[in-house]
Amino acid sequence: MNVFIVGFIENTLLAALAATGFGVSFNVPVRLLGVCAAGGAVARGLRFLIADVWEVAPIEWATFIAAATVSTLGVFVGRKLRMHPKAFTVAAMIPMIPGVPIFTALLSLARMQRSGVTPELLAAAINSGLSACFIVAALAVGLALPGMLFYRRRSLI
Amino acid sequence: MGLQQAGSSACPQSRILSESEQREVTRLCARTALMLLQHGAESALVENTARRVGVALGAEGVEIALMSSAVVVTTLSERHCITTVRRNEDRGINVHVLIEVQQAMLDAETGKLDRHGYRERLEVIRPLRYPRWLVALVVGLACACFARLAHADLAGCLVAFVASGSAMFVRQHLAALHFSPLINFFATAFVATSIAAQGLVWGIGSTPKVAMAASVLMLVPGFPLINAVADMVKGYMNTGITRWAVATMLSAATCTGVILATSVWDVWGWL
Repeated sequence: MNVFIVGFIENTLLAALAATGFGVSFNVPVRLLGVCAAGGAVARGLRFLIADVWEVAPIEWATFIAAATVSTLGVFVGRKLRMHPKAFTVAAMIPMIPGVPIFTALLSLARMQRSGVTPELLAAAINSGLSACFIVAALAVGLALPGMLFYRRRSLI
Repeated sequence: MGLQQAGSSACPQSRILSESEQREVTRLCARTALMLLQHGAESALVENTARRVGVALGAEGVEIALMSSAVVVTTLSERHCITTVRRNEDRGINVHVLIEVQQAMLDAETGKLDRHGYRERLEVIRPLRYPRWLVALVVGLACACFARLAHADLAGCLVAFVASGSAMFVRQHLAALHFSPLINFFATAFVATSIAAQGLVWGIGSTPKVAMAASVLMLVPGFPLINAVADMVKGYMNTGITRWAVATMLSAATCTGVILATSVWDVWGWL
């Protein structure tokens, strides 16, 4: 259990830092960087709890739930600050983007082209490619969920 | 008919626009849509904001067609329409601009800004740019965090920090020189992987491959990918597919840079 607490704290802190870093690269104003960090921490922490600690759902569903939660919280914050929640929720999602699987899939493809197809390379390409696609879709649909469920004909702000 | 009724009831000052006034409103709608599209807003937000600006400034209705390379705006007033097209070029993601445009729109909607006020408000928006060294530093830190999240040891995180920080500096420099993003991502990936590969060549830390993988993570086009799926889900298929294709091309360019670097240093990636 102790391992999980340490893991949880580590996940949230690192995700907060990473979300802030990407917030800066997206030119998010300084006053919103804290919101980005909080969003990143909540998202990654929640995903860690669901997928790794409680093990109630696979990673793409955990990603979906985490993204939907942050997006829903973001609607309230966004209305308070008079801005569209995407201004800070996208940076908060970046720590959950499956970067390594995306590049693993592409690198395996390149390697198959160079040295021939082997079952291992094919499996690596398909596995990581599929997992990357599903996680990105889960992120984006999770982010769009409050708009699609509760604000169907109204504007978020 | 229905549209006109809806337009006139939503419009706060339902005075009829003269032709020159309608032209001005059309220009302002096009400018709004273009600024949002250039700085990385998703299509639903672009359309919604531009439409609301037009109605708030006195048009009866605003219709917008979005493409990745252009915006078409039509305003309706007294059964006259004025249509205009603006070419779109990508200026890079800038959330600051998105927020400023949106708040100007909200002020126009509550009646705080009229046409002239709104135009002046748009004209004074200067995109926020953080200093390059700061961006390189924090992006390097973010990639070190990613390395740690993927269970790299301290030395591995340090390698990822140095590699991605330097690469981010190169990327900003190349972007300032107006290189194509594809060339930029290729060169940046080459630099990042070359530096991170030294960890593997010299045996720094026990997890050099994780450091290599993490050091190119700032090249994952996360914002375009999320926008792509959001557009497709909300019915803007055409911009969504374009964004997805752009993100794939950028990832492929990155991948080529990684492969070149791993061939030069004779280490085969993290596979």
